[in-house]
Amino acid sequence: MLVVVATMQVVMARTAGLTPWKGGGFGMFSTLDHGAYRGVDILLEAPERSESQHVPPSLEELAARAANCPSEWLLRELAEGVVARERRYDRPVTTVTLTVWRTRFDPSTLAASEAPLRTFVYQVP
Amino acid sequence: MREDEPMIARAVVQWFRAVSCPPHLDTSFRLTAIALLLRPMGPWFVKPAILAIAALVLISPRALRTPALWAIVAAFVAVRIANDWPLADNHIYLIAYWTLAIALSLRALDLHATLATTSRWLLGLAFAFAVLWKAVLSPDFLDGRFFRVTLLTDPRFAEAAMLIGGLSDEELKANREALTALPEGAALAEPPTVTEPVRLRVLATVSTWGIVLLEAFVALSMVLPPRRVPAWLRHGLLIVFCLVTYAFAPVAGFGWLLLVMGVAQTTERDTWWRRAYIAAFLVVLFYSEVPWAGLVLDLRG
Repeated sequence: MLVVVATMQVVMARTAGLTPWKGGGFGMFSTLDHGAYRGVDILLEAPERSESQHVPPSLEELAARAANCPSEWLLRELAEGVVARERRYDRPVTTVTLTVWRTRFDPSTLAASEAPLRTFVYQVP
Repeated sequence: MREDEPMIARAVVQWFRAVSCPPHLDTSFRLTAIALLLRPMGPWFVKPAILAIAALVLISPRALRTPALWAIVAAFVAVRIANDWPLADNHIYLIAYWTLAIALSLRALDLHATLATTSRWLLGLAFAFAVLWKAVLSPDFLDGRFFRVTLLTDPRFAEAAMLIGGLSDEELKANREALTALPEGAALAEPPTVTEPVRLRVLATVSTWGIVLLEAFVALSMVLPPRRVPAWLRHGLLIVFCLVTYAFAPVAGFGWLLLVMGVAQTTERDTWWRRAYIAAFLVVLFYSEVPWAGLVLDLRG
């Protein structure tokens, strides 16, 4: 069972952007590609509205899950959570754009820069 | 009543019957329960069940040796993993495998041999995958970047960076600012320099190669046939790994689990190795609760 799960984790890390620190593959402490160096940017759009938004506390867990594994279903869950929250506050939203990024460090100077991992656009039905 | 129902009922009842087992294995089971109590896990519909069973097996010798209880713990741990996937740390997966192994071993014909073999393979494979990630799959471990950046930016390693790496508090703060990520494609006209004393570079290099080699040795000692690897080497490597790693790595739960699994490989005569494992368990506990590096820094002024 360990071999199956760990092998799947390696495959998902290579194909779905799963961070090596998670998923049962024992890749923790092997790379700087982990939750502390990943994040999600949220962009909300509607007629006469286009604004970025910090991840609200109520969506932190969903955002963390999406940042650690930017798969379609996790990003969709986060986008739906964002829409539901905007509706609770009666704020219009037609499109939610989520950008998952990670920090890369230069091998010699350690200069840090953000690099996008995946962008997901959710059209509100 | 269906013809096969009494057999199924008998099978279920067997899982809820306490098994007689060698007393020295009780240490491994009890330490597993203690590790579960020291690091409660999971949402409201998981945590109380795991804690309750862990408490029960500590109090009741019969519960300690009841396969169903360990299987229930494994199931709840699996639910915990699924509930907020992929956020569970890797040792949570290992807890699920280990508690399931205890349950299945308690139903096996030769409890000790089954548990010891399972422990060896779980440890060997976990360490093998850890080495695979560090030595092959990760692009930023062997070149030293992981430890260089972690020592400079992770607050949990700050004291080690100051004590051993020779950085001052001000230099650490300046380094953290210097290593703040810029948006893709952006560049500063005068990028801040990162202060990396020679001692820190040496610490990063020694940590990098030391840990991957130690993990490789542990993996080999576990997966090679026991007749090729003396037991003292397996036990010694595992205990050394835990004492070295968990002095710095803030994952005491993982260290406890590795030690618990090591205990299960001891024989009835290995009293001193069991005591060594218990001592190491307590040392890792102290590492996690006592800010030893900070205290040493304060003493040095």
